[in-house]
Amino acid sequence: MDTFLHLMNGGAGNLAAYLAAHVLLCLVPAFFIAGAMAALIPKPSITRWLGRNAPYRVSYPAAAAAGSLLAVCSCTIVPLFAGIYKKGAGLGPAITFLFFAPAGNILALAYTGSILGAEFAFARFVLSLFFGIGIGLTMAVLFWRDDASHDAQTDTLFAEQADIGAPAIGVLLSLIAVLIAGTLKLWPLTATLGTVTLPLPWAEAWQAILFAWVPFDAAKGEEGVNLQGSLLILLLVLIGLSAWKGLENIVEGANRWTWLALGLAAATLLVAAMRLTPGPAGLELALTGRVVAVGLAMAAVLHHARRLDADAWRAWLWEAWRFVKQIFVLLVVGVFVVGIVRQLIQPDWIQNLAGRNDLLANAVAVVFGVFMYFPTLVEVPVAHMFLDLGMHRGPLLAYLMADPELSLQSILMVAAVIGRPKTFTYVALVALFSIVAGLAYGAWVDGADRAWIVGGLGAFVAVLMAALSWLLWRRAIPAQV
Amino acid sequence: MKTIKILGSGCANCKKLEAVAREAATSAGIEADFVKVTDMKAMMAYDLLSTPGLVIDDKLVSSGRIPTQAEVRQWLAV
Repeated sequence: MDTFLHLMNGGAGNLAAYLAAHVLLCLVPAFFIAGAMAALIPKPSITRWLGRNAPYRVSYPAAAAAGSLLAVCSCTIVPLFAGIYKKGAGLGPAITFLFFAPAGNILALAYTGSILGAEFAFARFVLSLFFGIGIGLTMAVLFWRDDASHDAQTDTLFAEQADIGAPAIGVLLSLIAVLIAGTLKLWPLTATLGTVTLPLPWAEAWQAILFAWVPFDAAKGEEGVNLQGSLLILLLVLIGLSAWKGLENIVEGANRWTWLALGLAAATLLVAAMRLTPGPAGLELALTGRVVAVGLAMAAVLHHARRLDADAWRAWLWEAWRFVKQIFVLLVVGVFVVGIVRQLIQPDWIQNLAGRNDLLANAVAVVFGVFMYFPTLVEVPVAHMFLDLGMHRGPLLAYLMADPELSLQSILMVAAVIGRPKTFTYVALVALFSIVAGLAYGAWVDGADRAWIVGGLGAFVAVLMAALSWLLWRRAIPAQV
Repeated sequence: MKTIKILGSGCANCKKLEAVAREAATSAGIEADFVKVTDMKAMMAYDLLSTPGLVIDDKLVSSGRIPTQAEVRQWLAV
């Protein structure tokens, strides 16, 4: 019974700490950005570069851009993947798109950055982009015969053209500004502009109660819930309740609850940007540069959003809310379970298996990633747990590359579209390339010669591109005869 | 009698679309047969790049977004 309570406490503590500390300033804007991308970026503005006749210098980067900008959930990933493969640019770009989408989208990047650090998010982004294009090119080279015979019917699917409207670009950029202002730990943002002390004598006692409820061990990398955290959790619950009434039927128009939910979301971001310190005199409110920056960025969002037409902003809010419903609940459950599991794993196990950056450690990390299936984004808290338990950053990256890209679900889906031989090749390539990515990033972290790493990766992609050019050239000869 | 097909793998948007379409049909007093298409191959027969897709009498009327009830009523009236 004691063990059970201990485990439950671990789960609840982990969840409370995540909600209080990390989630708000990164995930709240990230959900709005993801919604805006889904609703406000017209798909043809990117997919027109993915047509059958696009040269591969255009189609591969476009496939990666589509993965990053259009595909935040499987509703878009699956049909777009099948469409690019069957009626568009072919197998290679389709694979690049499929591989890059889970790692390159805004939710994954923002969440990885806020939990594992900006450098790690950047490495994940760059290496996924690199190896996404690499795997796509390899598949195109290996299966070039099949690609030559794909679906010959003319198709207007990728011919449509569209541009992103100016207000939509304004909304997207200012939302990204909110995200950056909320998460960067840089000087003007962290500076304290002034303090106010509110006469709340219970503040210090309340924080002591919170620390007693959610005990934490800073040495193990655990985080507690402070007074500010409890306030943020409360605001989060209120947003959830008002959003349920305000956003569920947003397609038909806004109501009072909609404005309440949006107002609460804005207030939450401002509270999260402040620094609240309970003391004997009361609650000290520190106005930081971050508050000003977040406030200005949100004003810019409002300014641009007012110029969107009604359909557009309703669709935007609906998509944002849908992502919250789809991802947030699973994330909450996932973080809770990670908190429980963490109590059961001995740091020695992880350190022995994956504490170094060698081939075995990276391979173990990839195998774990392939066989474990975590819902969208839950791979990030799992990775955070491993990092705290002593995993080397190289294998950690290998795990993060393999886990969201490969799961039983995605393998079945891919097999249904491209058939089994190609799917197995894809799975093998992802495993191989994830190991290489882990080794490369691990070497980078350990301080190996950086020019050598970058040069090696560049040469690798250059060889693949040369091979593909050669194949295309060879294929073109008989067609002309 | 109209045939309304909802194309989608069963994600939140597809359920929402079905609800909107059902309400639109009821409020317009049009009898309709609802078919859910979840098979990828069947979906790709219609030219769409993202789900949910709405097909009325074998014609794709919207894809990648959720139309309003008023829009669906218009399409049903044709």
